[in-house]
Amino acid sequence: MMRLQRCAACGAAQYPPREICGTCLSDCIIWETANTLAACVLATTRLHHTNEPRFHAQLPITLGLVQFAEGPVAMCFLSRTVAPGDTVQVHIGADDLLEAK
Amino acid sequence: MTPRPYEGIALCCPVTEPYVRRSPHGAAWFLARVLRRLLDAGGMAKTDIDGLCLSSFTLVPDTAVAFTQYVGLSPRCLEWLPVGGACGPIALRRAARAVQAGDADVVACIAGDTANETSFRNLVADFSSFARTAAYPYGAGGPNANFAMIADAYMRATGATRKHFGKLAVAQRANARRNPLALLRDELTLEQYLAARTIAEPLHLFDCVMPCAGADGFLVMAEDRARRHRLPFVGILGAIERHNAFPDDPVQRRGGWVIDRDTLWAQAGIGPGDVQCVQTYDDYPVICMLQFEGLGLCDECAGPAFVRRHSFTIDGTWPHNTGGGQLSMGQAGAAGGYLGLIEAVRQLLGQATGRQVANPRHALVSGFGMINYDRGLCTSAAVLGRA
Repeated sequence: MMRLQRCAACGAAQYPPREICGTCLSDCIIWETANTLAACVLATTRLHHTNEPRFHAQLPITLGLVQFAEGPVAMCFLSRTVAPGDTVQVHIGADDLLEAK
Repeated sequence: MTPRPYEGIALCCPVTEPYVRRSPHGAAWFLARVLRRLLDAGGMAKTDIDGLCLSSFTLVPDTAVAFTQYVGLSPRCLEWLPVGGACGPIALRRAARAVQAGDADVVACIAGDTANETSFRNLVADFSSFARTAAYPYGAGGPNANFAMIADAYMRATGATRKHFGKLAVAQRANARRNPLALLRDELTLEQYLAARTIAEPLHLFDCVMPCAGADGFLVMAEDRARRHRLPFVGILGAIERHNAFPDDPVQRRGGWVIDRDTLWAQAGIGPGDVQCVQTYDDYPVICMLQFEGLGLCDECAGPAFVRRHSFTIDGTWPHNTGGGQLSMGQAGAAGGYLGLIEAVRQLLGQATGRQVANPRHALVSGFGMINYDRGLCTSAAVLGRA
């Protein structure tokens, strides 16, 4: 499952979520739901250090910035084999964290 | 509209409360110690200070307002500038305009922070609402994660390699070895830089600043007042700031300097080739390269060639971050936004003992701050000139 905000007034999609449309300042925001959303990988990193003990066991953690076809850019976990330029399917995982497969 | 010149304004009394790795003191202690140093350097009483610009992360829940009561100041002009690494030139702009307008006679500009076992984690975990919901949950990398991805995109766009970043870090360390105020003064070679442990690919240990405690400050007043008090000062030839520039760039490849640099150089009446020292905001070397490009020291995407061509050491070409920068002096929170400005003033006043650039007439200072979500939002810069 994946949800992205869209403005009912101007049609702009946005992320991170907010109460107001960052483009036209309308407050008519709709959550659009899909199973997954296609996105292009813009940049990646592999974390070898984290500020939170709960992530220690998972290091190194692969992360990336991905751009949805709708426009917004999200930071998300990536599978290790993904590279910039790849298209991925992004969803919200069971642990409530964005994951890409 | 072309901004009015900053004529008639004196920037003086650069002071530093020396940085320490960790401190039991609160942020207010560091900020108040710098205020004391400013009064001593300026030969002034607290009642002479009628303007205050303040920046700090760890002063929370307090702001500049609370600080006035904490130290017993009654300013008639007060600026709280939570703009992170861009705060030096921005404080300078606000203070200069307040003096020009007659809203203040003497403005104390101060930035600093404390540091302890938990302060950095607390800061990055709750840095902003966007970071809290959309960045920090993904591995809690903090700024390392953001800058790793910005560096990744920069390297692929320009052909920059770790060796380019390393050259800047190594040159800054060589400069820091001549600065008693720098916390990191051991020799650093390119081989050591390249062999350092990985933090967030492509960033390794010596790409990252060491959080520490400390504070910096300066005074802004009319030139005639500075002369009356016999205070050596420098002039402001130009200054710019910009926030949330290029919001549609998918990954940050440039900052607001690109929009405002023509204004900066036109106001200054000189070009990049006329400055004898450059102080950029170096939370990571890749950001220095964005500033070289953004401020017109080289063309867009030409950062790697520019770095290859120059030495960036005190006695070399393009003396850069001549005190060692944050990479070698440490990042005392918001004071990181003042560090380059303070170093530029010391260089122009001939006070950079042991690391003095030969006869500098002009200096370029630039600031960068606030990774609200995926990029730094605040940019600033100033061109300073010997009076």
